Amino acid sequence: MSRRIGRILLRAVITLVMVAILNFGLFRVIPGDPASLLLGGARTSVTDEQIEAQRQNWGLDRPLFPDQALDYLSATLQGDLGYSFKFRGRHVADLILERLPATIVLVGLAQFIAILCGVMLGVYAGWRRGGAVDHAATGVSLALYSTPSFWLGMLLVVIFSTALGWLPGYGAYSPGANVGSLDLALDYLRHLALPVTAVALGLIGQYVVVARAAMSDVVTEDYMVTARAKGLTGGQMLMRHAFRNAMLPVVTLITLNLGYVVAGAITVEAVFAWPGIGGLTVEALNARDYPVLQGIFLLLGVSIVMANLIADLAYGLLDPRVRQ
Amino acid sequence: MDDWPFRRRAVVKAMLLGSAVPCVLSSRAFAALSCDGHIVRMGANVSPDTLNPFASYSNWWPLVYTYDFLVCVDAQRHADRRGFAKEWSVADDNVTWTFKIWPGMKWSDGQPATAKDAAFTYNYVRKSIGTPNELNAGWNSTEGMQNVESITALDDDTLQIVTKSPTRWPIDNGVMMVPEHIWKDVSYADARSTFRNDPPLVGTGPLIIQDFQQGQFVRLSPNPHFRTGQPKTAGMVFNFFNTADPIAQGLKSGNLDYGISLTASQWADLSKDSAIEVGQNRIEQRDYLAFNTASGDGAGSTEALQDPAFRDAISYAIDQKAIVERAYQGHADAGAGLVMPAAADYYSDLSNIRRHFDLEEAARRLDSAGYRDVDGDGIREDKEGNKLQLELITGTSSGTLEIPIAVVQLIAGWLGQIGIPVSVTQLDSGALSARTKAPAKGGGGWDLLVAAGWRSPSAHDLLVLGKSADSSNTSYWSNEKFDQLLSEVEITVDLKKSQELVDRAVRLIYAEAPYIILSYPLMLDAHRKDCFEGWGTEISGWSYYPFDRLKSV
Repeated sequence: MSRRIGRILLRAVITLVMVAILNFGLFRVIPGDPASLLLGGARTSVTDEQIEAQRQNWGLDRPLFPDQALDYLSATLQGDLGYSFKFRGRHVADLILERLPATIVLVGLAQFIAILCGVMLGVYAGWRRGGAVDHAATGVSLALYSTPSFWLGMLLVVIFSTALGWLPGYGAYSPGANVGSLDLALDYLRHLALPVTAVALGLIGQYVVVARAAMSDVVTEDYMVTARAKGLTGGQMLMRHAFRNAMLPVVTLITLNLGYVVAGAITVEAVFAWPGIGGLTVEALNARDYPVLQGIFLLLGVSIVMANLIADLAYGLLDPRVRQ
Repeated sequence: MDDWPFRRRAVVKAMLLGSAVPCVLSSRAFAALSCDGHIVRMGANVSPDTLNPFASYSNWWPLVYTYDFLVCVDAQRHADRRGFAKEWSVADDNVTWTFKIWPGMKWSDGQPATAKDAAFTYNYVRKSIGTPNELNAGWNSTEGMQNVESITALDDDTLQIVTKSPTRWPIDNGVMMVPEHIWKDVSYADARSTFRNDPPLVGTGPLIIQDFQQGQFVRLSPNPHFRTGQPKTAGMVFNFFNTADPIAQGLKSGNLDYGISLTASQWADLSKDSAIEVGQNRIEQRDYLAFNTASGDGAGSTEALQDPAFRDAISYAIDQKAIVERAYQGHADAGAGLVMPAAADYYSDLSNIRRHFDLEEAARRLDSAGYRDVDGDGIREDKEGNKLQLELITGTSSGTLEIPIAVVQLIAGWLGQIGIPVSVTQLDSGALSARTKAPAKGGGGWDLLVAAGWRSPSAHDLLVLGKSADSSNTSYWSNEKFDQLLSEVEITVDLKKSQELVDRAVRLIYAEAPYIILSYPLMLDAHRKDCFEGWGTEISGWSYYPFDRLKSV
């Protein structure tokens, strides 16, 4: 057991080191010079000297290998993510921490709702296979699963914001709302409603499909017939035998999806102008802001590796066959 | 397996409760800003990365409402705002400029705003020239200051600028006036990078920035000390978006009062809404087709690109009117010369030398210039006998209106019809910037470029597209005569003489055709009619929109 855990941990560490190395090269192969982009907008003339001075300022004039690469790796190992080009020397860690809560709230809440609704609906559909709910849930789930969440988002905006006027269609809160007041909290919830729904709807489809399939497999098992023969009620059979066994693939999916909580939902954030990590990624990419991009993708890599790690470990706890 | 452990009634109750949530949330108790707040709600798609005018070009909106220029475009176009200077004059020597600052003017924090602040702002920038932290990374830049001899506050109301040679720079520059008492302790290193100029700002403009949430919004409130009276609204909020879709939806739902940078289809849709009024405004953007005229490093695939006769013939194969109608759906002026109609002081439609769309004429001219289809396969050969197959790169630079992809498709179609196949590569702004850099810096290698530029309506900026070795000159074209005219323009104060020089330069570059100006796109905007009135039509793309003068309905 301990050897297995050790192997999993070692694999996670190696993956993280690879992510950190790839992060450095990945964004630098994209054509485009951050100094030219920052200084040389379409409205200005910049001289080569100005661009060169900016490159020196950011250390981009030094050789990519080994100078810049080694600096990046050693700083990353020390937890220093560097300074942003686009945001004029602000700490990358500060920028990410500033945007992270909005993304965690958005995607985390959407995951929670999706897990709750999706698993319940999937289990019900699998428990009562062939019924009206099963047919409806399967059809709707497949449709939601295959629909891009940004498109769902646009649809929600058109219906609930533009046509009905119930909810705001963009931003995290109304400018000028009193900070710290109850009004602000309610205002935030109103702004959160549509983006959360857009992300959650896509995820619900995923959970329904997986939970239904798992439950369908379990209900045909011999031990379920035995349980019924022993005189257990439907509820007892579901909770004691079927549900726990069907949860294995669902738990795996949940754990893996949790890794994407910090990655945000870039397209949904764009549709709703949600001030999260997704928006920051787009801004940094457009400006070729290497330190910010490296920071975001490192965070993303760490969260996914950690989620996989938890999934691996949880699998061992849930399924004795894996432990053996 | 039919027994389900949860009660149906509980599920129904939960569903009913859930369905009530939107109704509760949409009640007036939770309503966001509305007309009642008397705050103008704007939608824009360029988000500032800092409010420091020395460190960024992305903060034009909203800084232009908080800070004044000395003169610049505002004062010349909007007589009821003018600039930091109320009036100005130039001496007979054409190098000594005298500016009278508004008497008794105050900064928004109540401190006196005098000629000393203006002198401080200019000299602060000027003294950075040649230092490691030269201030050249934002609107308040050293550009043009090399020609300045001195900038002095003669008294609280009088500023004197003496230039080394005659130039219109003193009244054309876009340096934003900042208060000395705020900026005097900011080092150059901080001013050009890390100093964020966090709100509340201190300015002399009509609206003062009070709150800034990066990537989300900027909130401004009326300046109680504004020289011609406090604005009538309760303020303004700029909401920033990555795309125009939320702007259009926000207008329809009543969450926004004004939206800009709309697409033609959004504009058409909004025009059907009786609560919304749409507008289209001339701006200083020009969309163009550039030929890669470089030789040696960075040259295109054929030497034909360096031949004015080849470029002249191609010009006959471009139908600017069709481009406007089909690609821009009518929301543009047809392109002609370097100067766009929005630059009224210098505009000419070049009617007496203008080429007209005629594919047969284009083919004839190509034949006579030596670019024939010798082997009869439908593709012309260049003078070296190689088949002409051109690579066209395109993309939208940051800070410009998007170029419809149909523009490129039309051009490729017309060139194909005269025996010149074109392959199109669409790039993002970063990649486009890398490929259009000077050949010495690793750029070039393409044949045709469809791109856009948006500069000020000053004579220099109108001609800069053809200036040798300038980063804006993406065709790499170089012409001594043109450069000489541009140099003369730069040292000319008299508007009439400046107009003559610009006209000569525009005609020269038109004849040589390193660029074919395709269109001058219109800025599409829309505003709601239910909250505010006084939107006006005097909107200038380069400078500020006079929305501080709105009144509640």
